[in-house]
Amino acid sequence: MNAGQQTTRRLASRAGPSICRSCRDSLSRSTYATAAAAVQTEAPAIQHIPPVASPSQASSYAINAGVVLSRPPQITRDLHPFESAFFLYQRRLNERLALPFTRYFYFKKRTPEDLEWKRKIKQRLTPARDIGRYKGYGDEAWNDELLVGARENEIDYQVERLIEDASTTGKEGEAESEAAEAGEAGISIGGAGGVAGKGKKVEHEPMEKPMPRVTEADIKGDVKSLNRLLPRTLYLLVKNKDGKWMFPQEELLPRETLHMAAERVLITSAGINMNTWVVGNAPIGHYTHDRSLKVRESSQNPNQLGSKTFFMKARIMGGQADITNTGLADFKWLAKEEVHKAVEQNYWPSIRNMLAER
Amino acid sequence: MALRELPSRAASALLRDARPLIHANRPSLRRHASSEPLQEVAQSTSFAVPPPSADLVQDFDPVARSKTRRLRKKPLPPSRYQYRPPKYYRGPLHPHQPPPESDPASRLFQPGPFSLPRLEQTYESTIAADLLTLIYHHYPPGFRAPVQTQRLREWTGASPYYQNRPLRPPRGKGDHLKLLTPPRTFRNVPEITKVVVHSMVPQAQENSGHLHVAGMVVQAITNVRVEAHKSKHNVVGWDLREGKYVAVTADVEREDTFHFLSKLVDVVLPKIKEWKGVSGNSGDNSGNIAFGLTPDQVALFPEIEVNYDAYPPKMIPGCHVTIQTSATNDRDALLLLQSIGLPFYGRLNK
Repeated sequence: MNAGQQTTRRLASRAGPSICRSCRDSLSRSTYATAAAAVQTEAPAIQHIPPVASPSQASSYAINAGVVLSRPPQITRDLHPFESAFFLYQRRLNERLALPFTRYFYFKKRTPEDLEWKRKIKQRLTPARDIGRYKGYGDEAWNDELLVGARENEIDYQVERLIEDASTTGKEGEAESEAAEAGEAGISIGGAGGVAGKGKKVEHEPMEKPMPRVTEADIKGDVKSLNRLLPRTLYLLVKNKDGKWMFPQEELLPRETLHMAAERVLITSAGINMNTWVVGNAPIGHYTHDRSLKVRESSQNPNQLGSKTFFMKARIMGGQADITNTGLADFKWLAKEEVHKAVEQNYWPSIRNMLAER
Repeated sequence: MALRELPSRAASALLRDARPLIHANRPSLRRHASSEPLQEVAQSTSFAVPPPSADLVQDFDPVARSKTRRLRKKPLPPSRYQYRPPKYYRGPLHPHQPPPESDPASRLFQPGPFSLPRLEQTYESTIAADLLTLIYHHYPPGFRAPVQTQRLREWTGASPYYQNRPLRPPRGKGDHLKLLTPPRTFRNVPEITKVVVHSMVPQAQENSGHLHVAGMVVQAITNVRVEAHKSKHNVVGWDLREGKYVAVTADVEREDTFHFLSKLVDVVLPKIKEWKGVSGNSGDNSGNIAFGLTPDQVALFPEIEVNYDAYPPKMIPGCHVTIQTSATNDRDALLLLQSIGLPFYGRLNK
């Protein structure tokens, strides 16, 4: 043991119980690296830690534990039009620069799959199924830009094309085009053409369409549902007895850690019907509430300056909040900007940086 | 000398009278940055211009236009539109310089990215923030980190050869320094930087077909061109002969990393029967974690399954997957990989 270590230890021990445990740990950690450093320099470990005043009767804050319970995004976000245009541009560029698709490695000759492939590639000109009609090789490979009003860069269009490709055999288009040619040529065998078209109809399994990105709760505006705003993070906000919207919070009990308190707060304010995970042991933010002099004088404990709320992060895995028998008035699941509208003006600056943009 | 001085003298003589005048109405060189340049900037943007009229849009057909131009035999000048960069780099002083790698005209250009992977979005929106909360270490205000001294040992002694000699490695068995972990902030949350898929097929020394199939398989599952490697030494126990091609690797980076990992975690690994997970012992103490896949497991990749028959029987190789992260210790790397859904077994805390 050396002088530097002793100084740190002494400082930490003098701070006594009023210094928090993780501070004390980081002060009294004795690794070989710090020991070596302490040996080499004379008084390196003089920490400029302000002395922690013991909580006097005259001035103290009540300590609360709050929980920022969130539901992470469930689906990918909507792409910016520039992003989707850029991705389409890069995909078409790739068609020009990549080696041609090795057909015989994936399709054996003269199999039904091979014939289907040939039919489809004739229609869309490119192996990629979601970049529209574009040919990367040949004299017109330069023609890779979209015209005004084209939908090829939209995700909806690309999903439609993929589904269509998986659920069709490529013969449908042929039948139609033949019928159209017959019609154009003015041959008066419309009935016969129609029969031929019907005869070529191919049975195929219907593809399952992806679920809509906008849910029923979004349309109804149901802020209590967890199925709303799927690409965004939702936060649980509760309305307390005073009618204020805030994150669930309660006073810290003696000898209770913030993690334990967060789990307790979740159960007492949002019921047991939730599968949650409190992330880590450190708070992600805090809010200081100062009571005015008038309020303090009229209250039972005039020495209490106000309260400090430390927020723990939690994730909901399943279930739903239930506020019956909790004394709370209401609850909501809100995205960041909706939280901004719901909470008090002085509450927002201390919570805004805890909330994710997306 | 006199001749040389003449111009300056003449100038000063001429300007002698003019000087006070110039001083009198000196143009103001001060410019208020907020006022004048704003007026100099073009008033309207191209975005404000209304779109072309509907009939113009309907009639516009670039292919037809180019065809008529070709019929009239007035093609665009090839010198301007058919640029090819130089094949060889001839040094910085050569007049013909290759374009930058990011230019589509460059020979080294690689297109991409083609999408915004789901896993990347999840990492940015959810995983990174949770990781930061989990690995946060609190320092009280006013805390000063102990000064990090030289971690390598000096050569102590009177020998003149000790002067300017590189420092000695640390004492002990592994003669390398462990990485230092910087204080973690929102700027340096551990992330996945690269995945290396490696497949070694010693049978390729007798039959090169094994190497070709291994290359095709690794290429198919990673979407990256593979690199073949020779054996460096003769190793009798492993049947290796020096200078023979025995392995292929693929360095999966950027967008492909996320696609590969999400495919692995969501499709391939759940299909493996009685798989315990990745060993918790895995890791090189610097945040890189590796595990292996047997040939049967590699065959579960959707790219292999779709045309399983195209690969010769019993030639599909196993492979090693090394996930490189920017974490500086295995504990953080493990936390990151667990959060993307990779299961681990055994003793995890190191």
